[in-house]
Amino acid sequence: MNSGLGLIVWIIAYPFVSFSLGVLLGGYGRKLTARIQRRVGPSWIQPFYDVVKLMSKKTNVSHGYMHDVAMMMLVGGTLLTMYFVPVPGFHYFSQFGDYIVIMYIMLVPPLGMALGVGQTANPNGSIGIARALQMLAGYEVTFVLTFIGFAMKAGTTSMYDLMMLQQSGGVATWGIVTNPLLGIAALFALQGMMNEKPFEVIVAPHEIATGPMTEMGGKYLGMMFIQHLINLVVELTIYMNLFLGGALNWFEYIVKLFTLFTLVLVVNAVYGRFRTDSALRFFWKLPLPMAALGVIFIMWNGK
Amino acid sequence: MAEKELTQRSAWDKVLANLRKRSLWMLHYCTGCGAVELPPTMTSRFDMERFGIMPMVTPRQADILLITGYLSVKTLKRVILIYEQMVAPKYVVGFGSCTINGGMYWNSYTTIKALDRYLPVEMYLAGCMPRPEAIITGFNSLIDKIAKGEANSWKDYYENYEFYHKNQEHVFGDIETHHDVPADGKYFRVVEAKR
Repeated sequence: MNSGLGLIVWIIAYPFVSFSLGVLLGGYGRKLTARIQRRVGPSWIQPFYDVVKLMSKKTNVSHGYMHDVAMMMLVGGTLLTMYFVPVPGFHYFSQFGDYIVIMYIMLVPPLGMALGVGQTANPNGSIGIARALQMLAGYEVTFVLTFIGFAMKAGTTSMYDLMMLQQSGGVATWGIVTNPLLGIAALFALQGMMNEKPFEVIVAPHEIATGPMTEMGGKYLGMMFIQHLINLVVELTIYMNLFLGGALNWFEYIVKLFTLFTLVLVVNAVYGRFRTDSALRFFWKLPLPMAALGVIFIMWNGK
Repeated sequence: MAEKELTQRSAWDKVLANLRKRSLWMLHYCTGCGAVELPPTMTSRFDMERFGIMPMVTPRQADILLITGYLSVKTLKRVILIYEQMVAPKYVVGFGSCTINGGMYWNSYTTIKALDRYLPVEMYLAGCMPRPEAIITGFNSLIDKIAKGEANSWKDYYENYEFYHKNQEHVFGDIETHHDVPADGKYFRVVEAKR
């Protein structure tokens, strides 16, 4: 699967696979939230209907060149990240880029969004972007620190190697079992990274009218939706590969993906939204010291 | 005209219409008292999201513009600005008697009486005010119209803009909006599409 024709097929098919998984995850998320609120909820593939609806809009409002290019940066950056993250049967690109590369590329979509939203010149959008960058300082620092600790212990930064290392001894070698402090701190960071409540300060519909998406309509919003759905899969997979032992077959992968997403959603469903400063303060008070403690612990024990 | 259009619809349009009807985002313009019937429609008792109908917060993202109740001369201007910012296909739904004939504000000097003189209304929900059951039924009929390709009132705004603009000017005097509607209609080929 990682050479010759199989590789080419994978490269072409992977975005579609990822998008389909994202649609299923998104639909599952909305259904689960609805069931928690005792509603019937939408269809299981509701995000697909939304994307089709948005992409089939007849008119469009463009605010200029950067507004158009930003959408490509958004989707392109996410697709690039997606290729570097190993999934069962496809880890060709992970030999060229370790987690540090992924970390860099993951900043491209928010940057593209910031440029595009800057051109729309909507104050709500600007506030949303400012909040997104502030939140980066919260969760990104924590997440990177947990990764550093984990990589130090394993002696490698390659995501594929880390995954195989965890696969070697079953559940006992999973990252979250061997380094519980790091794993739990990263769970908090994941909640912030996925922009779910209580850290849903960027897209706060009741406060700043969905922030960056305020001026986006029709095909622009459709692109953002596609990016969001693929990003769901990518972010969950990164956490899974680092702390839940990754997956060697698709059954295991999907089970872990949905279980992890359920955890995120359940927290999302019962919490309200932090203020931006409260969210940042929370990140620096609890998960960040936790991650730092985990790293110190690993340094203490040596390899 | 409508029947001819129906037979000329391609298979692709039919597929698209059937997918599009499953996802309708609604911007509710709640000046009137009718807004009080919306929370029960959205939450667990009646659950609008079953049909893929969701509240959205900005005009650019919305498909349905729901006008709940009376419109004063002052708010009508905002509604027109909001409507022109929306991305087509867009559907205006008049909610309650006030949008149909002025309702209990018939004698008022500050409210307008018939919304469809100023904006192309796709559908009215009659009642003072319509209960959640009526809203759900109404939206289901809108969904049916979209599936059949009959929900084309938004094209009317591009084609008969003079009529709407004349009525708007009658109320406001000179009105200038951010969009050049006839030019937009030509650029996106909305006007030719119907002929």
